[in-house]
Amino acid sequence: MAKAFRNTRKGITGELERAERDLIRRLFDDVISMLEPADRADEDPLAALVGLDATASKPEDSALLRLLPDGIKDNDGESLEFRRFTERSLREDKVAALRAGALLLEQNPLQLTPEQAQLLGRAINDVRLVLADRLDIETDEDAQALHEIDDWSQAEDLQTYLALVYNFLTWLQESLMQSLLAGLHHPGSRA
Amino acid sequence: MEFMSSTIELVPALSGVVGNTVVDVEAETGRDTFLREDTATDVPWVVLVWNDPVNLMSYVSYVFQSYFGYPESKANTLMLQVHQEGKSVVATGTREKAERDTQAMHSFGLWATFQKANQA
Repeated sequence: MAKAFRNTRKGITGELERAERDLIRRLFDDVISMLEPADRADEDPLAALVGLDATASKPEDSALLRLLPDGIKDNDGESLEFRRFTERSLREDKVAALRAGALLLEQNPLQLTPEQAQLLGRAINDVRLVLADRLDIETDEDAQALHEIDDWSQAEDLQTYLALVYNFLTWLQESLMQSLLAGLHHPGSRA
Repeated sequence: MEFMSSTIELVPALSGVVGNTVVDVEAETGRDTFLREDTATDVPWVVLVWNDPVNLMSYVSYVFQSYFGYPESKANTLMLQVHQEGKSVVATGTREKAERDTQAMHSFGLWATFQKANQA
């Protein structure tokens, strides 16, 4: 079983089983493939260089829209404009965190700097956002009801399995955040 | 309840920025009071973070502390306001800053939007 993250003198430490690390890395890869734009041969290389994407459009997939949300509420025109200026670098930023997270999971036990812990936390969070969309978590009550699913022997259907994975990542993320917060408030101390 | 105080805290924060902007304009142009009425472009922009059932309270507070550099108490107040009232103004400034902060919140996976302060 995984050991929760802790803030120690050696950094933020944690332990994951091989199967747990493989699972999380596969989930990171899945989200990377959602975020990586398809190669476009006709793309303006200069525009690409400065991060512009004149062809960006609001994602149709609700999970991708949650990862790349509109920047202005109730204003599709301005949101699209903002998206064309920022979405490419946002995608690249997220993919970079997911790749870094996958690399960090190669080590066992884990021993992270605060910067590495933040990258891993961002990666885990994006996976949780996608899983939550697939699990139709829309309210705090939905999240609470799902939180009670914790018996892996009951993982007989896809939804239950996804819920168990979601709850595992939530538990992991919470301990990672408590460790990061402890480090912010008492740098160098042992939690 | 502690989180209620956050609303009170925000009002002076916003008016302070409006006040500074007007003073700066006056200093630069040497013109006087009528500027107060027609400088719509000086209205600051705000970044709002919206509640969602996925982002952990600890994560949201961590993001506010690490990205904005807010002290723990302010970060928690804003986080609780998001959680309990559905949204919170988490930053104020120029349009460029609001856009940058919004994009940063998106990179953390928080659901953020920006708009003019007088439309908030």
